[in-house]
This record gives sequence, C-alpha cells and structure tokens, in this order.
Amino acid sequence: MKTIRKKTGLLLLLTLIFTAGVQAQRVTSMRINEVLVINADNFVDDYGKRSGWVELFNTSAGTVNIGGCFLTDDRNNPKKYPIPKGDVLTRISPRQHALFWADGIASRGTFHVNFVFDPDKENYVAFYDTDGKTLVDEIVIPAGQKEDISYGRRVDGLEEWIYFTKVTPSTNNLTLDTNEKLDNFKINDSWGIGMTLSAMAVVFIGLFVLYVIFKQVAKLSIAASKIRAKKAGETVLSDGGDISGEVLAAISAALYELNEDVHDIERTVLTIQKVKRNYSPWSSKIYSLRENPRK
Amino acid sequence: MQESLFSFLGENLQLFLTYTGVYNATPGHFIMIAVGLIFIFLAIKYEFEPMLLIPIGFGILIGNIPFKDAGLQIGLYEQGSVLNILYQGVTSGWYPPLIFLGIGAMTDFSALISNPKLMLIGAAAQFGIFGAYVIALQMGFEPNQAGAIGIIGGADGPTAIFLSSKLAPELMGAIAISAYSYMALVPIIQPPFMRLLTTKKERVIRMKSPRVVSSTEKIMFPIIGLLLTCFLVPSGLPLLGMLFFGNLLKESGVTRRLAETARGPLIDTITILLGITVGASTQATQFLTMNSIKIFALGALSFIIATCAGVMFVKFFNIFLRNGNKINPLIGNAGVSAVPDSARISQIVGMEYDSTNYLLMHAMGPNVAGVIGSAVAAGILLGFLG
Repeated sequence: MKTIRKKTGLLLLLTLIFTAGVQAQRVTSMRINEVLVINADNFVDDYGKRSGWVELFNTSAGTVNIGGCFLTDDRNNPKKYPIPKGDVLTRISPRQHALFWADGIASRGTFHVNFVFDPDKENYVAFYDTDGKTLVDEIVIPAGQKEDISYGRRVDGLEEWIYFTKVTPSTNNLTLDTNEKLDNFKINDSWGIGMTLSAMAVVFIGLFVLYVIFKQVAKLSIAASKIRAKKAGETVLSDGGDISGEVLAAISAALYELNEDVHDIERTVLTIQKVKRNYSPWSSKIYSLRENPRK
Repeated sequence: MQESLFSFLGENLQLFLTYTGVYNATPGHFIMIAVGLIFIFLAIKYEFEPMLLIPIGFGILIGNIPFKDAGLQIGLYEQGSVLNILYQGVTSGWYPPLIFLGIGAMTDFSALISNPKLMLIGAAAQFGIFGAYVIALQMGFEPNQAGAIGIIGGADGPTAIFLSSKLAPELMGAIAISAYSYMALVPIIQPPFMRLLTTKKERVIRMKSPRVVSSTEKIMFPIIGLLLTCFLVPSGLPLLGMLFFGNLLKESGVTRRLAETARGPLIDTITILLGITVGASTQATQFLTMNSIKIFALGALSFIIATCAGVMFVKFFNIFLRNGNKINPLIGNAGVSAVPDSARISQIVGMEYDSTNYLLMHAMGPNVAGVIGSAVAAGILLGFLG
C-alpha cells in the first residue's frame, strides 16, 4: 500500500513538473513586443486605414493559441478586449508575431481591438491570460510619442525597450544583415589558429577529465572485485586485468572470421522438382489466434 | 477532323517530350549518374561501406534524373514532394541524432573504460578537423563553411551532416558525400601514413590485455560521459545526448528491447532515409561546382591530418609511459572515428609486422573515443560559428 502511495505521489509530482513545463509553452510565453501610438504615414490595415498598433511576440519554441486571452489599455478592466476564439490566425507560430490594430473598431475583425491610443498622454497596454486575471505582460508607453516612431523591445522578447525610427510590424525588431560572430572570427582569427587552439583545448580537457574519472573508477572497481573475490574465497589473479580464456577464444574466432572474410559463392541449381509440403503454417489456426497474455 | 486530331496528338506528344528526362538532360546529370554508379560499384565489388554507399549511390541516381520544373512536386528541393518531406530529417538535423542513438546502443565502450588513457588519442585525432578548418579558411571559405568542411576530418558521417546542415546547408551535399567517400576509403588512405610515421620497432609493441570491465562501470560511463561533455559543450547535446542514451539502453540490462530497436530497425531505417536523401540532394546543378572539388580535396587532407595526428600523439605519449605500458602507435589512426573500419586497419597493419599481435580490441578504445571527440568538436564549432 505504501509503495502504491509512493508511486502515486511520484507520478503526481512528475505530472506537476511536466504540466509546469507545458504551461511555459502556452500564453505565458507571449510578450508585448512593439507599440506604435501615432500612425501618421505608416503601415495600413486591411481596410486601408492607419491607426496605432500593438505587436505580440511568441517567445517559445511551440505554437501558442492566444484565442480567449485579453488585451486592454485599462488597469481596472483586464477583460476589455477579448481576443476571439476559434480563429485559426490566433495560433501564433514559434518565435512569430501577431499585430493588433488599436482603431477602436472591434467589429473589423479579430485583430482590431476596441480601444485607441491617446497621443497626448502615456498609454498602458496589458495582455492577460484566458482567465482574465493572470497578467502575462504589460507596458506603459511614455507620453510624448512622435509620429511613426514605435516603442519596442530592442531584441524580440528581451527586456530592453527602445524607440524605432524604422518600425518593424509583424517582424523581428532586430534584423541582422551581418553575422557578428563570423565577422569577428574573420577579423581577429583569419588564420583559424585561435579557433584550433581553443577548440582542441576544450576537446582535450573534456576527454582528459573523463580519463581521470575513469582511471579512479577503474581503481575502485578492481579493489571492489578483489574484496568480493576474497570474501567468496576465490584466488585473486596477480594481474586483475587479465581477460578470461573464453573471451580470448571469442576474440580469436572473430579475428579468424575477419581474415577469412571471403564469401563462398555457391552454385545455384534451377529445378522443377516440386517440394512436398504437407503442412503449411498458412492453414494453421494457431497462428491466427492471439495468445493469452502472460502475467 | 482527322487533321485536327493529328495536330492535337502531335502537340501533346511534343509537350510530353519536353517532360522527359532525355529532353531535360545536361552533361552534369550524366556526370553525377556516373558518380552514383561508381559508388554502387565500389559498394558491391569491394564492399566499401556498402550500407552507406548503396543508398547514397542510388540516391545520386534518383536526384539526377532530369525533369521539367513544372511544379509536379517530384524533386527533392520542391516543397511538399515526397523526397522533400524525407529530406527534412536532414535539413532540420534529426536523422543524425537518431543514428547516434543506434550507434550508442551498439557500441561497447569496454575497451575504452578498461584503458581510459586511450581517450586522449581520440582527442588528438580531432586535429584533422581543425587542420582542415585552417586550410579551408586560407582557400577563401567563410568561417562557418570552413567549420562545416573541417568536420569531415572527424570521419563521422552523421556528425558531418548535422554540423553542415546548421553551419553551411549549401555545402551539405558535397560535405556528406566527401565524408562518406573517405570513410569508405579509410583502408586506402590510412596505412601509408601509419607506416611512414612509425618505426618497425614501434609497430610490434605489444599492449597489455584489457581488463574485464564491470557492468557498474559500463553503466556509469554514459551517465558521467553525458554530464561531463554536455556541461562543457552544450551545443553537442543532440549528438552526445543520444549517443550516451543509446549506450545506457544497452548497458542498463533492463531495456534490452529498446536497445535492440535502437541498434537494429531504427538505425537501419534512418540509415536508408539519410543515405537516399543525401544522395538525392547532389543534383548536378547544385553539386558540380568548384567548391565541391575544393571540399573533396580538403576532405582528403583532413583525413590525412587526423591519421597523422593520432599516430604522432601516441608516439609523443609513449615518451611518458613506462615500458610495458606503452601504446602501439598503429592504433593512433583509430582516433578518427570511422567505427570500426579504422580499428580494423590498425589490426591489419599491425599483423603485417607481427601476426600474433592483436590490436583490434586496443584500437576500439580510441575509435569510440573518436566518436565522442568528434561530437564534442562539432558542438564547439556550432557554439563558435553557429
């Protein structure tokens, strides 16, 4: 009974840990990523209209469905704009974005919220989980925003917020036209010597530590086997490292086979003699019946 | 009526002709088909890595059947085609870790555990990777491309495919073909350099018989190995994680069925898919370039450097070892992975000089250490250049 309880407890614990991990792949992975308050001469929506917008970003490696979650600009009303459920477009792919238009006309579609930004004062935007209570992310956009300059995270999903003169709706905030790592290698290690030395050092260190550990393990193992043998009253060989005769015989046989690794090509003879087979498993019932499970 | 029927049939026939392979063939296609046929010939006639060269060789034939690009979803590079779906295992890099799972489940690390200093030979032989990296940089390749090319020196096909798919996908076909070709040619490439770098006296060194390794040690090895190597180089996790996991399945003694699946049907299935799709990825238009020729030259060089580094390291190591504990430098070549062919070469060359000196078991130590070493090296390259 105790064992069953223990097992059940362990199972529950594992389930809890596992579901906690799953949660991490859900709406809690969403972040408010970029906001444009004054859209004077910028991105237009499907109706050809310009308005402020909020970009959400899925930081996780799994698809997140934000249907049923809430967007709001009111601290006292977390459920101000419920994102409609059942829209395939609310399934946000890993590391992808969703853009919501702050035009105050929710009837225009899933991605049009029922509030607008006030260009004259600071604006608050928050994203709530499906329960309308769990705050996932919030941001206060300072007052005095300029036209067509967005406020967003310097790198998607990370903490630092900056202004973007080059707005990036529905795409990465930071786009790279060069690979900094590679450029550094090209400039500072054009011969590849630094890479060779550092990488070989890491390989050697890794395998050297493994060597040291297993040298000690071997010593312990030999000592333990000697003690066991003594207890059992067996003779301990002077060199504990000897391989038994059977193993050596097996190795020799394998080597012999390796050296004699030449296939005989047997002559094949075509015959028309009928092979008599009175019994065929195809007609046997035992092969079509399932065996009773053994305990 | 008849006239219009004939003109209609004629037009259709003409259209059909434009769809045939004959109409769309270029000299490049025939060259690649010849390469595929050579692979198949080498595999059947000389049994050079037949498990790999036959799927790859046949894949080259499949990939170089010329056809009209008419959106029929038949080519490997056409999104949604059957070959393209199978190829995703290569491009997204999940075939190689599954192969490593199988390798782990079939590898016996006893030789290494019984004589752990052999691990260092596996480390030394990785110099082939970085030697080729240096040369590739000087030949004008970008650092990421040079890293992907250098890994050929690890003599480990899945690792080469894994790394090149991450660092330089555009070179993956040439790198994979080069890696597998040279692995098949290990019996030709290695022996001359092994003889060149060793004296007659060194070639007949007898090594102590390996001790019997307890099952506890065998169980500890994959666990400690994983924790140590992956804490050091987390980017090697996909390969090392699966390698050690497979080995634990084998050594735990309680997951026999899982181990058998991993080293049997699973690895066979993945080998077939990997071989055929890598082969098919070598379409003439993508493959027949000057870069491919350079990669083949660099691949050969990396194998030679790795072999020499392994042998020379053993000679250097012997300076510090007492008489009776010395290592036969002919097992140095086995540090380049290519399991178990390079270990067999140690055995064969060793027996040429002393027919009763069996080096195979000893060579398996650096051989499997080479697998770990090349996966660690791949992780480092991915971490630095990815």
